[in-house]
Amino acid sequence: MTGLFKRAHGGGAQLTLDPVEASILRSLMVQMLELIGPGPGEDAPEDPLAALFAEGPTKPPADPALARLFPDAYAEGPEAGELSSEFRRFTENDLRARKRDDAVAVVRAIDDAEEDRKGRAVVRLDPDGCRRTLGALNDLRLTLGSRLDVSEDDDSLYALPDEDPRKPMVMAYLWLGGLQESLLETMF
Amino acid sequence: MSVAPVEIERTEAESAPFEVPDPDVPWVTIVHNDPVNLMTYVVYVFQTYFGYPKEKARQLMLDVHHKGRATVSSGTREEMERDVQAMHGFGLWATLQHDK
Repeated sequence: MTGLFKRAHGGGAQLTLDPVEASILRSLMVQMLELIGPGPGEDAPEDPLAALFAEGPTKPPADPALARLFPDAYAEGPEAGELSSEFRRFTENDLRARKRDDAVAVVRAIDDAEEDRKGRAVVRLDPDGCRRTLGALNDLRLTLGSRLDVSEDDDSLYALPDEDPRKPMVMAYLWLGGLQESLLETMF
Repeated sequence: MSVAPVEIERTEAESAPFEVPDPDVPWVTIVHNDPVNLMTYVVYVFQTYFGYPKEKARQLMLDVHHKGRATVSSGTREEMERDVQAMHGFGLWATLQHDK
């Protein structure tokens, strides 16, 4: 049923989605945007100059999916916790902003898609859009993977009965993997 | 006349670094295995960010996959913080540490 990314004439990539797929992909990206949010800097001062100098969070996010997107930078040694906090304080806000920008770029590309004769959305990406979409698809898979508790040793997720409530998310996770793989093939 | 040497001495003491990092013990960036990232994506990241040839990028990816982790770069602490930040940007699980 599903279309995959194809190399576009003149560079970039192109993806044809039926309206349901386009709406699922868009809605998953929007949900991830809500999850990432502005982050703990939310209560940053209104003054843009003060916001510029506002420091980022020092603790890892409590949500496991966010903790995966924004992991600790130091894992070993007695000072790992302190060094990770310091690193996080100076990097996490930038990282959140970048991941948000990438997801927003995908939402825009879907919104800007042209409709073909069969009513399908033709999403076109320039090389920069490809790079952003690749990152956003990966972030989305990490998010769903964390929610589903995906592991390398347990493939029972891929044989769930239809009535299992996790089934739709597993289908989406696998679909996104196929999209990401096909996008990579066009870029590489 | 007798003051000058003291001043010079103090200046030297102040400019002396408290910790001299051992240039022989670099910092390293380590990428850890995770069950979600696609193998092809990890190779892509190693090729595009570090500029590694395909074979090296692929070998590093396989090391991450089979051994659970691989050292992907080494250098000063600042350089490794930059690499770790970049890896997190790509969604890879990376940490830095003093090489042992």
